[in-house]
Amino acid sequence: MRAISRETRVALALLALLLVLNVALNPLRFAPAAWGTLLGLAAPLICAALASMPAILGGRGGIDVSVGPAMGFINAVLIKTLVIDCGITTAWVLVPAAIAMGAAIGAVNGAIATLVRVQPIIATLGTYLVLSGLTLTLLPAPLGGAPQWLKALSGAWSLLPLAVLALAWLGFKRTPLYDHLLATGSDDRAAYSAGINVTAVRFLSYVITGLFAGVAALALTALIGSADPTIGPNFTLLAISSAALGGVSLAGGRGGFLAAAVGAVDIFLLQSALTYFNVSTFVLQISYGLILVASICINALPSALPRRGAA
Amino acid sequence: MRGAWLRVAGAFLVALGLHATGTVLIEGYSEPFAIRAQLVLSCLLAVASVGQTLVVIVGGIDLSVPFVIGFANVVAAQLYGSGWPFPLVCLTVAALAGGIGALNGFLSAALKVHPLILTLGVGTAVQGAVLLWTAGFPTGSAPEALTNFVSIGAEAWIFPVPWLVPATAALLVAVMLVLARTPFGRRLYALGSNPVAARFALISPVRMWTLTYALSAIGAAVAGVLLLGFTGSAYADVGQPYLFQSIAAVVIGGTALTGGQGGYLGTVAGALVLTEINTLLIGLGLQPSMVQAALGAVIIGLVSLYGRAQHVRTTI
Repeated sequence: MRAISRETRVALALLALLLVLNVALNPLRFAPAAWGTLLGLAAPLICAALASMPAILGGRGGIDVSVGPAMGFINAVLIKTLVIDCGITTAWVLVPAAIAMGAAIGAVNGAIATLVRVQPIIATLGTYLVLSGLTLTLLPAPLGGAPQWLKALSGAWSLLPLAVLALAWLGFKRTPLYDHLLATGSDDRAAYSAGINVTAVRFLSYVITGLFAGVAALALTALIGSADPTIGPNFTLLAISSAALGGVSLAGGRGGFLAAAVGAVDIFLLQSALTYFNVSTFVLQISYGLILVASICINALPSALPRRGAA
Repeated sequence: MRGAWLRVAGAFLVALGLHATGTVLIEGYSEPFAIRAQLVLSCLLAVASVGQTLVVIVGGIDLSVPFVIGFANVVAAQLYGSGWPFPLVCLTVAALAGGIGALNGFLSAALKVHPLILTLGVGTAVQGAVLLWTAGFPTGSAPEALTNFVSIGAEAWIFPVPWLVPATAALLVAVMLVLARTPFGRRLYALGSNPVAARFALISPVRMWTLTYALSAIGAAVAGVLLLGFTGSAYADVGQPYLFQSIAAVVIGGTALTGGQGGYLGTVAGALVLTEINTLLIGLGLQPSMVQAALGAVIIGLVSLYGRAQHVRTTI
């Protein structure tokens, strides 16, 4: 087990600070009785940040900007096509369908980014446009009607999607593939020379990203209880910012489950605290941008200063 | 080096091919007015992507482009509307934008923060500030000279295009000269291709990144002011389509996101390609959402034709 990185420790300290601030500002919302709902509110962003993380870990510009639109697309297909058009409401179909769609999207992204070798940001930007366009075509306007069991995933059972992702990640960490992924992300040339199939490992990281995006889509559908074609794409940049804030290095090879989750909770608590002050959305936007910049800079400060002194 | 020129030539050929396809499939696609409209739209995208090109060559990326475009668009309209002389408006907007860009570059390089998140954060804050200042309802207008400069129906001297088109051509020549013939250009490529070696050549990464990102923001600001003339009124979200399009134009033009190679001529070709695709898809009668989906597929298809990255085994 690796020690928690310094970046993640800073993000954890920020989390503690924000939690105290939120509880002080709004004790009712953060009372134990409301924890299920609260976690349900945070779950889509946390899952999205976790989904962004594996592709970034693979390094050499690995990134998946299509996570948000993928969530929106799966949300639309689940509610519009399966529930409303086909009348399927059982979890035994909807959950596997969501995860299979996620994996398929991940496999397409992975194939374009690693086999065809289109630069990942362009490859996933392409699927971003395709997925958000298809979602809008399938579902021009929001539509209600999630089954009850799914809505419960954002209330009493809101821990479930996160627990599933945590178990999946713990399982993945026990396989050699996890070490291969970190090795590839840290130095792909060294990893390749050591006999690691760099292409296959990176391809797999996109598939995991897709699988996790499928779970994130379920958490999102549970929260909004309907299908909404416009909400998905917003998650992309928030999710990547969350991962980076928590200490997932965008250069690859550093970070993991805890880092991405902590970063996402930070951003959720930040939004929650800012909303409490009831300022205009414009002030919210400014503070949000500035705090994002400040926290990332503070995170980088200790490693930047000594290096400059040594040079 | 030959590969690079082939990629640029390839992008121009794709643009021509798309135009030919449009002419065959859609009536009036090559009417003089349609061509003028396509040229103007391409020029706007090309101007918005100048900075992205420079930033990508030095090894970064600038997600603040759409926010700075919106910032310049709204601030210019607001200041001109409150009676400032237009040249002063332009200088103020350029100076402010340069400051924003310099902040982006300085923080990214000095603290070694990934520019993706940093420029996004700075951009978000800038847009929030603009919205706060105008209370969400920007007012003001564009001077007539500016409108004429970009208007599709205007004429530049004896040419049947607005002055924007020859001005963009002049910008292209200027940027190519700067990249090929000045110390700044050489340092840009050197730093982008090998940051460690560049330090031994006494190239200061912090100074170069600050300068390059400042230039990027000024380019975006120029595009924002031009868009004010094009649409006639201010709108803080006017730059949003340019977030991904500026990056796509750079990559379609053969500039690799890994830095150290490429050039502005390719970006101009990329801007032509993107404008042609957009016009063609809309002309074929697709819904805006399907245009978006098709655009995504076409971008992937194009880049996989000639913009592929190297396999890791060839980099050892």
